Amino acid sequence: MIRSFRLAALYFRLGALNELQYRANFFVALFQSALAVSVGLVVLALVYSHTTTLNGWKQPELMVVLGVQILLGGIIHATIQPNMQQLVDEVRDGKLDFALTKPEDAQVLISLRALRLWQFTEVISGSAVIGVGVYRIDAGLGLWRSLAFVALLLMGALLLYCFWLILATGSFWIVNMWFLSDLFEGIYQVGRWPIGVYPGWLRYSMSYLVPIGFAVTVPAQALTNRLGWETVVIALGFGAALVVFTRWFWRFGLKRYSGASA
Amino acid sequence: MPALPAPERASAPAIRRELWLRSMFDFYATGIRTQIQTQFQYPAATYMYTLGMVAEPVIYLVVWTTIAKSQGGAVQGIGTAQFAAYYIVWTFVRAMNIVFTPYGWEWRIREGELSGHLLRPLHPIHYDLAWFAGHKVPWLVMYLPIGVGLTLIFHPALHPRPLEIVVFLIAIWGAYLIRSLNNFILGMITIWTTRASAIFEVWFLSELLLSGRLLPLTLMPHWVQSLSNWLPFKWTFYFPIESLVGDMSNIELVKGLGTQLLWIGVCTALMRGAWKLSVRHYSAVGN
Amino acid sequence: MLRPVAGVVEVSGLTKVFRVPEREAGLRASLRSLVNRQWREVRAVDGISFEIEAGEVVGFLGPNGAGKTTTLKMLSGLLYPTSGGGSVLGHVPSKRERDYLRRMTLVMGNRNQLQWDLPALDSFELNRAIYRLPREDFLRTRDELIELLDVGDLVRKPVRNLSLGERMKVEVVGSLLHLPQVLFLDEPTIGLDVTMQKRIRNFIAEYNQRHGATVLLTSHYMADVEALCKRVIVIHHGRILFDGSLSSLGDRFAAYKTIEAVLADGARITLKVPKHETSEATARLLAEHEVHDLTVEDPPIEDVIEQVFATEATA
Repeated sequence: MIRSFRLAALYFRLGALNELQYRANFFVALFQSALAVSVGLVVLALVYSHTTTLNGWKQPELMVVLGVQILLGGIIHATIQPNMQQLVDEVRDGKLDFALTKPEDAQVLISLRALRLWQFTEVISGSAVIGVGVYRIDAGLGLWRSLAFVALLLMGALLLYCFWLILATGSFWIVNMWFLSDLFEGIYQVGRWPIGVYPGWLRYSMSYLVPIGFAVTVPAQALTNRLGWETVVIALGFGAALVVFTRWFWRFGLKRYSGASA
Repeated sequence: MPALPAPERASAPAIRRELWLRSMFDFYATGIRTQIQTQFQYPAATYMYTLGMVAEPVIYLVVWTTIAKSQGGAVQGIGTAQFAAYYIVWTFVRAMNIVFTPYGWEWRIREGELSGHLLRPLHPIHYDLAWFAGHKVPWLVMYLPIGVGLTLIFHPALHPRPLEIVVFLIAIWGAYLIRSLNNFILGMITIWTTRASAIFEVWFLSELLLSGRLLPLTLMPHWVQSLSNWLPFKWTFYFPIESLVGDMSNIELVKGLGTQLLWIGVCTALMRGAWKLSVRHYSAVGN
Repeated sequence: MLRPVAGVVEVSGLTKVFRVPEREAGLRASLRSLVNRQWREVRAVDGISFEIEAGEVVGFLGPNGAGKTTTLKMLSGLLYPTSGGGSVLGHVPSKRERDYLRRMTLVMGNRNQLQWDLPALDSFELNRAIYRLPREDFLRTRDELIELLDVGDLVRKPVRNLSLGERMKVEVVGSLLHLPQVLFLDEPTIGLDVTMQKRIRNFIAEYNQRHGATVLLTSHYMADVEALCKRVIVIHHGRILFDGSLSSLGDRFAAYKTIEAVLADGARITLKVPKHETSEATARLLAEHEVHDLTVEDPPIEDVIEQVFATEATA
């Protein structure tokens, strides 16, 4: 297990060194995240030109939601998505050889080996948006709430990682999953808005089926002083359950993959 | 130059040729047929893709419905039922205007597909047009239950007149052509620079805001509405949607079709010019 | 209407120079290159000239990077020459006239021009429409090609499900449906097993016989060239080293000959002697030993070519 982490760390470092060569990519990534932030802010401006609150959320509060969504998106695009995409591609092309030899630490390896360093610019731009939003809320930010925010953010990233891995494991059965990234990008836009906006059935599926509600809205609630203890408990409990389920599902799928011929 | 011509080989066959129109028809017919066959082989994948696609307008719809409800039922005269109608028809129009993405040109060049096209006496735009036209049939068939579901959930106000339906059916193909041409022109930028994706992002951002993709154009500030009248974006989303959903007069409907035709002409001319230049560049720098 | 031409392919002083950016390692170098890009010139093809008559099958021999593929790309219109010119069937290839494209074909080994997800038959239908072939002509040609290459049961499967060799065969069918008069074949047998290579070679010879097509074939497999080409053009560093028949290639460049002898006691010996010493060595052998069988052979063409490239590399 430790060895897999070390191996993954090696891949990670090599990937980062490799990406650092292409300095031009940094400027392109910066430009793209600036563009994405602009779109988000323009849409917010449009919405708030026609109303003053959206489901009880004011404009700076919605900026925080936007910022969290972009920040989390940056983490996903930099670390989670490239790994999952690579996994899906390798399953499709029958190249998942090493996994056949060590099923129990394969999960660590396939989850950490790929990296798109320059996508971290989204983390920077997302943080900036959060910063501006929090500043404009003007309600002050205590230590506990900040800590809760960071913890819930990481929990959110973990939830989305589990979600991605469950989908990617599906490729052991449905071999060609070319649509995965498009599908996720489309559904991830749900996180742009606080989950309370959506009608009941949509809200539940976007919280439990596709844990975007927990990943984006809940950390934003921490920063905008809407967080109740029940939410935190449910989020943590759900997270723990999902991690366990994901691990089991991954090993189930891998056994099936290595049992049947590639 | 030698004075005496060498004798031609007797067995070189005389090349008979079909009528151009007949061949073009056959090409499109074959292309569409084969794409229908291929797409129907992967229903699960198509559904997943459609799901991701439908997420976008449903999100917009929910947000604007929430705003409308908080403003007493309507935003600038557009009520929840109208928003529902707009965004549900949006999904149909969107499915119709999906074309070959300019991001795909990098792959196209790298895999040698572009060179392959250059070796054959047919402009590659015909491939893209035929391919994606073929995709529409299985997509729309599989989309039907989703459309019905959306209608049941969101209760759109949809009462189109016969002329509106006719104009709509023509306008969606006009939108398809305009968007195909524009995306083709964008894609060619890849021949000139590796940083083309930055340009694509700016283009698609403009499209999002100026086409009616994000929200009905009447809800945008006035200067945006004036700007969108001078650009092709409006004719790929807003016009087809409004022709069915809105209250356009007969004259406006016909004028709209005419403007689409105008844009098709302009974009075709631009595409041809850009193609000539791009092929020259591609052939000069190597491939 | 064709104007009478002396040769089907006429090339004169054809040159292709690529500008390649200089890339150095290191932080300082990459920062510097952002401001001041350095370029260097690669002369992929350097002033080559030749003429090919109708119906000839000519082999282009050369190591990787010699300029073979670049030449073919220029003759098929994919690349513009930097200087010099060529004409094929009376057309200037870089103009990419429709009439020209309909009368030639370029087949690149390892590259697919057929639709990946479709059965080959569907791709053939597309080609029929693209080349505007009347239905009866098309069916006749198609069936003839399918039979010649024995791909009848392969053409209904999606191309992606075929093996490399099978894919090559259906690619060839697809690229000949319009009965081109000029065939540019770029490494057509690369990556194929020996049986498949033989099949493709036989097919090319057959096609050339039946339709009188002119074939320009590049390869670094000697076997392709020996089997098909009476005439060979050797190219290296973008320049033509030799243009003539295969046999005279050996005469001109072979530095030695091989003498094989079977002696009275059953022993087999092989001697490699410099060309000018052949008769002396043979005489001595016959004088000093009882010889039951004697052959004097040219070295294998591979060795000759290798020799040629080696000397050129140091030149």
